[in-house]
Amino acid sequence: MTEYRPEELMVCRIAAEVKDGGITVLGSFTPLAYAAYMLAKLTHAPNSYVIGYNAVGMSPIQLSVSGAEASAFRGSAGRWSFSELTQTVHLGGRGMVECISPAQIDGSGAFNLSAIGDYRRPAVRLPGGAGSAEVVQHYERIILYVSRHSRRILVEQVDFRTGMRLPIDAAERAQRGLTTGPVRVLTPLAVLLKDRSDAPFRVESLHPGVDLEEVERNTGFELDTNGPIGTTAAPSEEQLSLLRDRIDPTATMRFDFMDAKSRVAFLRQLLQSEWEAAVRRTSLSGQS
Amino acid sequence: MTEDKTIPIARLSEFVSSGQELALGGAWLSNHPMAAVRQLLRDRVDDLRVISTLASIEAEILIAGGAVRGLTFSMMSLEAYGLAPSFRRAAETGAIDLRELSGVAMNVAFEAGARRLPYLPMRDLGGSEIPTLNEDFYREIECPYTGERLLAVRAFEPEVAIVHATRADPQGNAQVDAPLSNDAEIARAARTVIVTCEELVDPQVIATNPSSTHIPGFLVDAVIEVPFGAHPTSHIPRYVTDGWNFVEYVDAYAAGEGSAEVSRLREESEDDYRERVAGPERRVILGSLATGAPALDLAPQ
Repeated sequence: MTEYRPEELMVCRIAAEVKDGGITVLGSFTPLAYAAYMLAKLTHAPNSYVIGYNAVGMSPIQLSVSGAEASAFRGSAGRWSFSELTQTVHLGGRGMVECISPAQIDGSGAFNLSAIGDYRRPAVRLPGGAGSAEVVQHYERIILYVSRHSRRILVEQVDFRTGMRLPIDAAERAQRGLTTGPVRVLTPLAVLLKDRSDAPFRVESLHPGVDLEEVERNTGFELDTNGPIGTTAAPSEEQLSLLRDRIDPTATMRFDFMDAKSRVAFLRQLLQSEWEAAVRRTSLSGQS
Repeated sequence: MTEDKTIPIARLSEFVSSGQELALGGAWLSNHPMAAVRQLLRDRVDDLRVISTLASIEAEILIAGGAVRGLTFSMMSLEAYGLAPSFRRAAETGAIDLRELSGVAMNVAFEAGARRLPYLPMRDLGGSEIPTLNEDFYREIECPYTGERLLAVRAFEPEVAIVHATRADPQGNAQVDAPLSNDAEIARAARTVIVTCEELVDPQVIATNPSSTHIPGFLVDAVIEVPFGAHPTSHIPRYVTDGWNFVEYVDAYAAGEGSAEVSRLREESEDDYRERVAGPERRVILGSLATGAPALDLAPQ
């Protein structure tokens, strides 16, 4: 069995949520989500429909910091405005799966992308949720993913509810004409699942080699551990080779898993090598 | 003789005044009307109430230059390059009025504005706290047909909108090859519309591909030709986001030279900016990356 990194397992777990023919939407460059959707398209879900940077029906692309947007556009079937996306997918009940990476998540399924501390005078002002407040309510399946399984992220109560699926229960949602599906939390240790508003997250699966005790110790909200707990599938050789050789050869997906300082250094290194490669491909190389 | 709405960028502030509500196009690190934003700084247009749905460096440098009284947004980020430093400081010290809304509702608000409606309905946002904090934008209503609870999203009718197009003719018929975001929606909702463009073209050029005309000239008040006008954000398929410049900006800020950066923008013309920041070599590289790479093959069935 080839060794794999936690983010590679997480990418594969997200990819498993992409069913063939389903619609997913990506905003800007979020490497983990892009890698997962590309992987799904190249394996079990060739007919899944990915909308990235407004590029509708984009082809699978190789990830890079400077080239992803252009590549998404190059192989797409159409270009849409936000209104077309809003009317058709976001509020049209056609969104299949959405990955959101919040700063805080609590046991109600609420997440915070807005501010740490007091909302009006925050200790840290975060970017905000973009369309996540709508998406979490209207898409079929929601994956909240985090790069660390920690009580600082999986908290008892979020400082601000940027978004929160409510209700979660399938019957209640169906009655109101909403798509049905659970909220999952995906971490480097486990998959947590919530399918009822009034019941805690349960541990759906532990990643290979992870103890339940480690998950409980690092989770700041109540967990239901009574049911059967599975083991998250390890990435297959085929998946790893697609990810490493074709989808993400420079490992941009590691980005979310680094501390701020390493991330900046990594980003600079990626930009430097992408610049050099671009120079080699253009006439500039002849001049130097 | 058709109307010629072209103006040099130096005349931008005849169309935008301090204190106005200004909607800016683009999204993420893509196609923000950056040349126009730099000109607003040069012209010391300030006290602006900016609306930018997926805001980034365009709002960041306006805040850094002290030009912003309020910002209405759903996300404000330099993405991989980090939290927007001036925005973050302004937010944490309460220096500007922040109105954080949900992104899809902001699109609905522009649609309502374009139709001259006071609001448009949409379904609820579950347990989000954003509506409760913004009762001037989200109100619960009861559907007159089904009785279900809906949100009435207040219309946006910005006084001015600025968007960056790929090409426009002198009447203002504009085509955006880059990600369209909500450029057309904000142009429809605003009372005054300024189009900056990579290239000013004859009407015949527009007429060769009329299905790409996203903004009709009758909405447009002024047209400004400014190549690399979205730099350092992208304008696909002409140039990619200048990540190298984002790193330079973040570094300058971290070194305490953020205001020096803004001062420099104010003191130079747009042509000087382009030569200094996006010189010939960088323009070639940004352009070469903008055609994208071929798609990865689908697995054999």
